[in-house]
Amino acid sequence: MKRDDLYAVAEAIKGPMKDFVRESRVRTALLVNHSGQVLAQRGFSRGFDVGDVATLAAAAHSSAHALAKLTDSDRWTHLHHAGREKQIFLAPFRVGDEELILIAIFDDDSTLGLVQLFFDRLVEAIREIPQLQNRLPKGDAEGFERDLEAGVERLLSEPEDD
Amino acid sequence: MSDPVGRALTRITRAAGVQGAVVVDAEAGVAVASELAPGVVETALAAMAGSLFRRTSDASRTSGFGGVRLLQLDAADGHVLVAGAGSLLVVALTESGAQLGLVRVEAARAAGELRG
Repeated sequence: MKRDDLYAVAEAIKGPMKDFVRESRVRTALLVNHSGQVLAQRGFSRGFDVGDVATLAAAAHSSAHALAKLTDSDRWTHLHHAGREKQIFLAPFRVGDEELILIAIFDDDSTLGLVQLFFDRLVEAIREIPQLQNRLPKGDAEGFERDLEAGVERLLSEPEDD
Repeated sequence: MSDPVGRALTRITRAAGVQGAVVVDAEAGVAVASELAPGVVETALAAMAGSLFRRTSDASRTSGFGGVRLLQLDAADGHVLVAGAGSLLVVALTESGAQLGLVRVEAARAAGELRG
């Protein structure tokens, strides 16, 4: 995705992401595309590198997708890892031609049920954004590096407006 | 459903005015089993009831009252009853004119059975 497109998309996603973080009470929420490009980030990310998390989430999505294909399980809905203090919820969803992935990190202030509930609402809200209907072209291998750089650069250059 | 969870749900939903009952994993806030009227969203009821019970339990313990056994939320158009059953919760959703006493008894009984 080009840098200008990314800014427009990031702007449109801001509201729904803000609502998701507030309502589900997750500590951090990241929205990335299948190549690991960060489209939005809300909440607190101290203690980990956003770029690393985005890239690993995209990789986890790819392997889970391949695994689902191998086992004829169609597509996977979400991946939940419950740690001792923090939990990770990773879920893909489709907007236009693009598969986006939500990564939510939460502690005992929230629950898997709440995150799932508000994830469904987030997906609905994002799908209703007019700019996103046909705005997300499917990425390719060559665009991966550029996408990742653009996403991380945007995040680092833009302060949150809470 | 012939298992204890199924029997508990059936008994609660037999009471007049009950719109649904769901057994919820208390830690995760996700539904384990449910019997719901059309239009009642299982995910939402489980998540909200789980969160409500958890927060109320925290507040109760902090205030020195110990853990919550039964929680009743009275709203303008209905009631939500949540009974603690160890790692599970028994949740009943009713309309405003429901037989609340009976629902409370059934929810508490079901929670007791599930606690073993």
